[in-house]
Amino acid sequence: MKQMKQYREFLVPLVVFALAAFLPLFLKTYYMHIAILILIWAYLATSWNILGGYAGQHSLGHGLYMGIGAYASTYLALEFGLTPWVGIFVGMAFAAIAGWFVGYAAFRYGLKGAYFALVTIALTEAAVYVVSNWKAMGGAAGLEVKYLGTDPFMMQFDSKLPYFYIILFMTLLAVLTAQWLNRRRFGYRLIAVRENEEAAEAMGVNTLGTKINANVLSAVMTAAGGTFFAQYFTYVGPRVVFGEVVSVQILLFAIIGGLGTVWGPLVGAVILVPVAEIARAELGTQFQGAHLLLYGGVLVFTMLFMPNGIVGLAKSIRARFGKTPDDTMSVSASEGGAS
Amino acid sequence: MTPLLEVKNLTKVFGGLTAVGDLTFHVDRGEIVGLIGPNGAGKTTCFNLLAGAMTPTSGSVHFKGEDVTGRKSHQMCKLGLTRTFQVVQPFPDITALENVMIGAFVRHGSTGAAERKAREVLDVVGIAHKADTLGRDLTLMELKRLEIGKGLATEPDLLLLDEVAAGLTPVEIDDILTLVRRLNSEGMTFLVVEHVMKVIMNLSHRIVVLNFGSQIAEGTPAEISKNPAVLDAYLGEEEYVA
Repeated sequence: MKQMKQYREFLVPLVVFALAAFLPLFLKTYYMHIAILILIWAYLATSWNILGGYAGQHSLGHGLYMGIGAYASTYLALEFGLTPWVGIFVGMAFAAIAGWFVGYAAFRYGLKGAYFALVTIALTEAAVYVVSNWKAMGGAAGLEVKYLGTDPFMMQFDSKLPYFYIILFMTLLAVLTAQWLNRRRFGYRLIAVRENEEAAEAMGVNTLGTKINANVLSAVMTAAGGTFFAQYFTYVGPRVVFGEVVSVQILLFAIIGGLGTVWGPLVGAVILVPVAEIARAELGTQFQGAHLLLYGGVLVFTMLFMPNGIVGLAKSIRARFGKTPDDTMSVSASEGGAS
Repeated sequence: MTPLLEVKNLTKVFGGLTAVGDLTFHVDRGEIVGLIGPNGAGKTTCFNLLAGAMTPTSGSVHFKGEDVTGRKSHQMCKLGLTRTFQVVQPFPDITALENVMIGAFVRHGSTGAAERKAREVLDVVGIAHKADTLGRDLTLMELKRLEIGKGLATEPDLLLLDEVAAGLTPVEIDDILTLVRRLNSEGMTFLVVEHVMKVIMNLSHRIVVLNFGSQIAEGTPAEISKNPAVLDAYLGEEEYVA
């Protein structure tokens, strides 16, 4: 019984994703592409959210880890014929090392807020230039995944369906990780670090170690997304997977959906990606980058009118209306105690 | 018997200013020791040094017989020395229960055990009915109780209380004093920094008086209140205020 209760929290994500697994029955190819895009960004934003949302350390450089994942698997496949199913883990291992190093270097010297953001953006920009000048990595032209038709062993498919299920499964794992954090010691410690570092430290939280661990976990997950990204688009370029454009997009969905919430990044991606894609498809020829303008607009709107994101807003609405009976009960209980 | 906390020649220099100079005192198990002194006497710096928030320039701190000089805050907390803050430091976006759970996680790995411990602590500090209220929505009195609760949840051997009575009404102060005395009678040791004289004189078994970073007197409240050096440095001035 106790075991059942422990795992009940995972029921909602499992049901939601099980239902999502039936989506391909209703979606045409183009919409499948949008669904996959949604899941890619939901996955990456959920990974970013562990560091940015839960631990409150706003990294603007997650392109670094995405790039490492994308390049590692692609390079190993091209050069050594290594399957991306293994390459993905190699990329994650490299990202873990990079994540540890960035975390240690930044947090050891107490970098916070804007300063941490600046360091991370500088590092991912530096990576763009390093890779652009790295011959083995294809330089500025990037690397193309060798076309093999449908080859499950090499994570390549002509149909979108398998890609959909792979990224759906990855996103499920990411959401389950976030859900797991929500009610575990490590998750609580991340929140303590975000809310008040000094108090957290005084209450036995190793804040430096906690932040580094969060950075490593987030980096590792992001790298796996990078490998999938490379396999799906069959191309990696320095600016495409590294750099500030992708780094900013990653966190956009988390901020708009709701920082530090399990569902925020997914909700943000579900709402924003289709809108941006339609804008790109409809306006892209006349106004290039119209979808980026849209991202900017939505971000400003969110910051102004719902700083806690969509899920945050929903939560506070529910708290206002749902909690009323609770509140009145606790008031009457304390009054009863006083009289 | 070795004292629970033993401070020897503790010194902290900021640039040219000696905030704490050559401070030596000890705290035995089961005691309530008061640390007093006029503004700027070095009380808070002393707390920061003991709790690991700052590293001393020289001198040593022994806790439970072990040299802990220069340990970090979270390490001191794990060893059993926890501090509260003069200005309350709640986690605003999580509930009172979760605030306390963060502390309970020091000794309990599982969420269930930490939650049980946290509920027990909320009950002890008298805000069990506020368990589900967010940190930001608590009143000052509740926050003061929460602050003690957060410390208690780490199950310390020695709890450092920094100005726990500041900003409270006399009735609320009495409530807090009753709480501290009860915890002490159950075996908890306290080191208390306090500005409110009534609190320190009522509560402490022993008092250490600081001025300009150095100890100028030590003794029971009765002795301290008659000590000419103390009256000169501190109590004499305070009479106008009180």
